[in-house]
Amino acid sequence: MSARRGAWIAGSVAALCVVMLFADYIVAARRKTKDDAIITAARLARKKRDNAVAWVLIGAGVAFVSCAKRIGGSKPPGPPRDVRESGRLKAGCSQDWLPNAGFVDDAVARLGRSKEAAIPLLQAIQGHYHYLPDEALRRVCELTEITPAEIAGTSSFYARFRRSPVGKHVVRVCHGTACHVSGARQITDELRRYLAIPEGADTDPARMFTLDEVACLGCCSLAPVLMVDGHPAGKLTPATACEALRESA
Amino acid sequence: MSAAAVEIRVGLGSCGVASGGEPVRDALEQAARRLGARNAVKSVGCNGMCYREPMVEVVGRDGRVTLYGNVRPETAAGIVRRHLRRRRWFQRDDDPAGDPPPNFAKQKRIVLENCGEIDPLNLDDYLARDGYRALALCRAERTPEQVIAAISDSGLRGRGGAGFPTSRKWAMGRAQADPVKYVICNGDEGDPGAFMDRLVLESDPHRVLEGLAIAAYAVGASEAYLYIRAEYPLAVERVRVAIRQAADRGLLGGLPTEVREGAGAFVCGEETALIQSLEGKRGMPKLRPPYPVERGFRGHPTVINNVETLATVPWIIRHGPGAYAALGTPASPGTKVFSLAGKINRGGLIEVAMGITIREVVEVIGGGIRNGRRFKAVQLGGPSGGCIPAWLADTPIDYEALAQTGTIMGSGGLVVLDDRDCMVDIARFFLKFTQVESCGKCTFCRIGTKRMLEILERLCAGQGRAGDLEKLETLADHVSRASLCGLGQTAPNPVLTTLRYFRDEYEAHLHERRCPAGRCPALIRYRVTDDCIGCTLCAQACPVGAIAYKPYEKHAVDDALCTRCDMCRQACQDDAIEVL
Repeated sequence: MSARRGAWIAGSVAALCVVMLFADYIVAARRKTKDDAIITAARLARKKRDNAVAWVLIGAGVAFVSCAKRIGGSKPPGPPRDVRESGRLKAGCSQDWLPNAGFVDDAVARLGRSKEAAIPLLQAIQGHYHYLPDEALRRVCELTEITPAEIAGTSSFYARFRRSPVGKHVVRVCHGTACHVSGARQITDELRRYLAIPEGADTDPARMFTLDEVACLGCCSLAPVLMVDGHPAGKLTPATACEALRESA
Repeated sequence: MSAAAVEIRVGLGSCGVASGGEPVRDALEQAARRLGARNAVKSVGCNGMCYREPMVEVVGRDGRVTLYGNVRPETAAGIVRRHLRRRRWFQRDDDPAGDPPPNFAKQKRIVLENCGEIDPLNLDDYLARDGYRALALCRAERTPEQVIAAISDSGLRGRGGAGFPTSRKWAMGRAQADPVKYVICNGDEGDPGAFMDRLVLESDPHRVLEGLAIAAYAVGASEAYLYIRAEYPLAVERVRVAIRQAADRGLLGGLPTEVREGAGAFVCGEETALIQSLEGKRGMPKLRPPYPVERGFRGHPTVINNVETLATVPWIIRHGPGAYAALGTPASPGTKVFSLAGKINRGGLIEVAMGITIREVVEVIGGGIRNGRRFKAVQLGGPSGGCIPAWLADTPIDYEALAQTGTIMGSGGLVVLDDRDCMVDIARFFLKFTQVESCGKCTFCRIGTKRMLEILERLCAGQGRAGDLEKLETLADHVSRASLCGLGQTAPNPVLTTLRYFRDEYEAHLHERRCPAGRCPALIRYRVTDDCIGCTLCAQACPVGAIAYKPYEKHAVDDALCTRCDMCRQACQDDAIEVL
C-alpha cells in the first residue's frame, strides 16, 4: 500500500528532524565559549540550520498526515452533531465525513440493487454505524434502484431504524404487557434520572447510553426486562436496572 | 454403563440467557470435563418453564429426569458430581437435591414436544426424533392433494390469531395457475406479552422448516421465506444455521429458503403488510381482495402461515389427522400454545388441548397468582384481544367461546392481572401501543385511536369529562368499522372489553377521581403508616428526596416532591407504606 509507505517515510523524516533539532539544542546549550563574537556566529549558523530543518519538519508532517488519512480504517472522525432526527434527507452537497464509506458499496454488492433489498440494506447500515447516516443513505440511492423518497419512507416507518447517532451503549427497556404491569415505567423513569437524560432526549450528555423503549423483547416471564447491547437482563427493580447498566459500562 | 449416557441439558433460549444461563453452562462443562465426560452437557432450547431459569435438566443412566431450577454457576459443579460420579457413597452433603421432574400432566405437547429436549443446532438430534420423516413421507407417498386433505381432516386452524382453516388456504394456493408461488412463515410476533414463536424458533427451528417445506410441497411453491422480527436475534441466528444444515443434507429438496428480518413494526404481522415489508416498502396493509393467495409477494400467489401452525403440520402428517382432530373441541380441534406471563407464579410457555378453561390454566398450570394476591382478569390476544374477568374464568378456550366474551384467541399471549392492576391503565397501555403502531393509512385508525387515547389519558390523570365513556364507545365503534386491516378493526377491543366488565373502575376514575387499584400516578398518594419502625430504608430508596431521613422516627412522604415511583413501598420491610 503506497499511502502506508508514504506515511512511514514522512513520519521517519519528521522524527529525524525532531531528533536533529533536539540534538542541536542540547549541543548548543552545552557549548561553553567565552568569546561573544564566536558565540554570535555560531548562533547565527545554528539558527539558519534549524530554520531549514524546521521547514523540512513541517513538510514531512503535512505529508505524513495526508498519507495517514488515506490509509483509512484508523480512528474514524465523528459525525457532525447536528444530524437531524427528522425523516427527511438533507439536501445539498456531500459532506465527506462518513467513515469507512466503502461499507455501503460492499453491502450493496452483497445484498443486491433491487428495491426489495431496501430493508436488509438499512439493517446492514444500522448494524455497522448504529444509526442511519444521511451520507450512507444517499450512497444507497446512488448505487441502487431505490429512490430517496422510498428510502426516506421506509427508514422512517420502522421503529428499529434511527436517524441520529447513538451513545456508546444502547439500552432497550421492554414495555410489553407483562413488563408494563410489573413496573417498566418506573424502571425507565429511574434510568432517565440515573443517567441524567434531559427531557425529550434519549441519550445522556456524556453520550454513553441511549435509552430505547421497545414494544416487547419476548422474555415476558422474567418481566421487567431490559437489554444492554443485546445482553438481556430480567426480573429487574429500579435499583438492579441501574446496576445492570453499571456492569456493562 | 458409561458416564456419557448421562445427559445434562441446560436451557439456553433467550430467557435462559437473560437469567444467566451461559455462565452455568460453562461451569457445567468444566465440571463434566474434570470427570471425563466431555459430551455430557447439551445446550437445549427452553421447555417452557421460564420461571425456573436458568434451568438444568439431567437425564440419568436409568432414564430418570431430574430438574434443577434457578441454578447458579457455583451450584453447577454439584449437579454434575451428583450425576456423573459412579461411587455414590462418596456423595457430598452440599450437592443440591433435584426438584421434581416437570409436571406436564395438564398439557398436551405437540408443537413443544422437542423444546428443551433437543439441541436446536444439532440436526441429528432432530432426526433422531423422527425429524423430517413427515416431509419424506409426503414427498414419497402422498400427492399434494392428499397432504391438503390430511390437514383438512385434522381441522387445523391458523394459529396466528384469526383461526382461518389452514387447508383452505393451501387449497386456494394450490389452485392458482401461476407457476411461481411462494410460501412464507410469519414469525413477526409483535404482540407484546407473547413469545411462543420466539421459543419454538429458538428451541426447535428444524420443525418449523419441515412444516414450511411440507406447505411448499402442498401448495407447489418454488421459494420459501421466513419473516422473523429483529427483536429475536437468537431465533434469527438459529433458523439461519438450521436452513444451512438442512440444505447441506438435501433435506429441503432444493427448496430455496431464506430468512428476512423485520424492522420493528407490529402491523407487519398482517399478511399484506408483511408482503409490503418483504418488498422493501413501508409495511402498510392493502385492500383485500385480491388475497395474498391470489396475488401476493412480487405479484405471485403467496401462502402465509404462522410459526405455530407450521410447527404443528409435521406431527399431523406423522400421527395422522385423526389423532389431532381427537384433541380439543369439535369446532377448534388440536392444541394451542400459550405464553403465560404477568402476575403468575409459574410463567412460561404451555401447550394445552383446546377446551381447557382459563381457570385451569391460571390456577393449575400457572400455579395461581403471585404473592397471594387476588386473581382479577386475564388479558388474552394482546392489543387485538381483551380482558376476561375472573368471574368468567370458567370460559373454555376455543375460538367461538372466546369470541363471545369479546376477546379473541389471538396468537396466544395470556397475561394474568391481579387486584393491583388498573384496568383503565391496561386499556390505555394497549391503545397507546396500537396508536403508535398504526401505519396511518386509514383515517379512523390514525386519528380515532389518537382521540381515544387522549380520553383514556385524561381519565388516568383524573381529568375525565362528562360523557367521556360514551364518546369512547362511539369512537371504538367507528374505528373498528372504518379500518382496513386487523390492527384497526380490533384496536378498540381492549377498551371495549374493559368497559364492559370493569365499568365501575372507569366511573371511579371519572366521577370520584380515584384509581381503585392504586395504580394511576396522578390519582394516588403514598402514606407511611404507624407500622413504621424508622429504619430509613424508604428514605434511602427515594430517588427524589421526598422522604426525610429520620432514624427511629416515623417517616413521612412529601406529596409535592413524590413522583409515585413506588420504590419506597418496595423497599419497606414492614409494609408500612400504603397507597391511598
